[in-house]
Amino acid sequence: MKRYDLIIVGAGPSGLSAAIEAAKKGLDVVVFDENEKPGGQLFKQIHKFFGSKEHRAKVRGFVIGQQLLDEADEAGVKVVLNATVIGLYQDKEVVVRIGEEICHYKADAVVIATGAAENMVTFPGWTLPGVIGAGAAQTMMNLHGVKPGKRILMLGSGNVGLVVSFQLLQSGCEVVALVDAAPRVGGYGVHAAKVARTGVLFYLSHTIVSAEGDECVTGVTIAEIDDKFNFIPGTEKHFDVDTICLAVGLSPMSQLLKMAGAKMEDNPKRGGQVPICDEYGRTSIPGVFVAGDVSGIEEASSAMIEGRMAGIVAAEYLGYIDDKVMETELAGLDKALDGLRQGMFAPKNRGKSIEKTEEGIDISQNLLKKGFVGDDEIERFPGVTHRKGIHPVIECTQNIPCNPCQDVCGKKCISIGDNITSLPIAVTDSECVNCGMCVASCSGQAIFLVDEDCGDGSATVTLPYEFLPLPAEGTKGIALGRNGQEVCEATVVSVKSLKAFDKTNLLTMRVPKEYAMKARFFRVKTEEAAV
Amino acid sequence: MSERIEEHPILGVQKKGKTVKFTMDGKEIEGYEGEPIAAALKAAGLMVHRYTQKEHKPRGIFCAIGRCTDCVMIVDGVPNIRTCITPLKDGMTVQTQYGVSGIPFEDQ
Repeated sequence: MKRYDLIIVGAGPSGLSAAIEAAKKGLDVVVFDENEKPGGQLFKQIHKFFGSKEHRAKVRGFVIGQQLLDEADEAGVKVVLNATVIGLYQDKEVVVRIGEEICHYKADAVVIATGAAENMVTFPGWTLPGVIGAGAAQTMMNLHGVKPGKRILMLGSGNVGLVVSFQLLQSGCEVVALVDAAPRVGGYGVHAAKVARTGVLFYLSHTIVSAEGDECVTGVTIAEIDDKFNFIPGTEKHFDVDTICLAVGLSPMSQLLKMAGAKMEDNPKRGGQVPICDEYGRTSIPGVFVAGDVSGIEEASSAMIEGRMAGIVAAEYLGYIDDKVMETELAGLDKALDGLRQGMFAPKNRGKSIEKTEEGIDISQNLLKKGFVGDDEIERFPGVTHRKGIHPVIECTQNIPCNPCQDVCGKKCISIGDNITSLPIAVTDSECVNCGMCVASCSGQAIFLVDEDCGDGSATVTLPYEFLPLPAEGTKGIALGRNGQEVCEATVVSVKSLKAFDKTNLLTMRVPKEYAMKARFFRVKTEEAAV
Repeated sequence: MSERIEEHPILGVQKKGKTVKFTMDGKEIEGYEGEPIAAALKAAGLMVHRYTQKEHKPRGIFCAIGRCTDCVMIVDGVPNIRTCITPLKDGMTVQTQYGVSGIPFEDQ
């Protein structure tokens, strides 16, 4: 039986991070993953990540994935693919199915980094071809380049539902509705707003009554529900769709830990059955550690930090580093992880209804119920100010851990301060030079450059635009409001696509000046329809 | 109507393997070598991968990562192949799976 210092199960963001740390400290490490390729779900994440520099904010997920693989290569990490770990037994015997063969390994320490599986909901017709998980949609469009469907209804308004809806639009699919049984949008408001402004309607307090079709999905009916989750008769709405996408949460894949006899708990805040562990992933079994979603659903950024922590504590457990080195290294990671766990959406705030921002500003109710900030609400946020000339309008209205906008502005027009979750402030006495870096670097696509009065009765609005085809200069179209409804005619002034913008094109459109603070998206006129 | 994404605003033009031919219930279809069989079928507009044993209900792609087994089909004569994680090869024979058979229920 082959022996390793450390066996890691799962080559996703946390498993690879654990492997890198452990390998750097001299441990003989192997990572088993059941998939054909390493990286877990990172390669399906094409949006820019939140956070600050240390969390690789404003870098797209698949790029972070590649960086992680390169780092693992450099550290000499051995990854075995198409290798499903099927058993974790006494004395850390690990049983792996590789191809059609069952192989036995022995480890001195084990890190379980198996991640999570998608939750499902059932309704009449849910087994029909055309009802798919949101992860399946991401896999098909972002890995395999195939559209998951033509007309799609998304169930679930958490970050997965919101992000995948946007990705479906980017792939050229139509999203007819975004539906959630909850009364409020579950994910980041900025993710919701960038979907809503393209014209996707949100139906909160609604869920699916049934999917229709004999051989595959041809339609779907949704209806409003009351506070006891019963359908309200007469509220049914029908959509012709070929695809229904389910984004209704994730559950930790903790079966191996249960099998090994680790103490478990049912913890809804962590997403289900999880091992009881300390902050660095030590389970009740000495030498068995956990990292990432398997010990509580969070996101890739925190999973990578947790992975590093697990790699470090495993190295200390096996005597490759002493406890002083461990403490020092963990302290830095503690700080990074703590930074990500702040704000309205922090794990500690899960399930709480938050009415005001940290600054004491009322949260936009439209944002929570319809996915966009109302025109009458936007002015109360500190990123929204008025002055002569071009200036940033920062429509970031919830406390989330993210600050690239502050870092990229060389002219100090945007201020967040030391507290990473503070709402960005538009600094009125700094001179904006219209470089566009703030627009491109905002992972939430919530920053616009606006010249409210060009002197000829018009205004210009520069917005982030991640769709194809790019409209040419001079293209006439319709400006849409935050709510995705038509507000006025608009003409494209310019489309900038610099390398530094990392595929976020900056589309500048001219609109009548009374719409400067309303127009937030550009749609090509239907005869030359694009999006 | 192609269900392939020709050019993606973020990912650009995705690299593909060489074009290969395979058969689906006897009909010749083209796909890219190395992509999951399910991706090639989806691109060709096919939705139903199999019918369940007891109730004869249709199933198609559901999780697309090899966990749910909804998309299993008969590939080169072998049933229960997860098409979403099995790479496509030139000349493969893919069949709709009825229960665990390639023969439609009415002929079984």
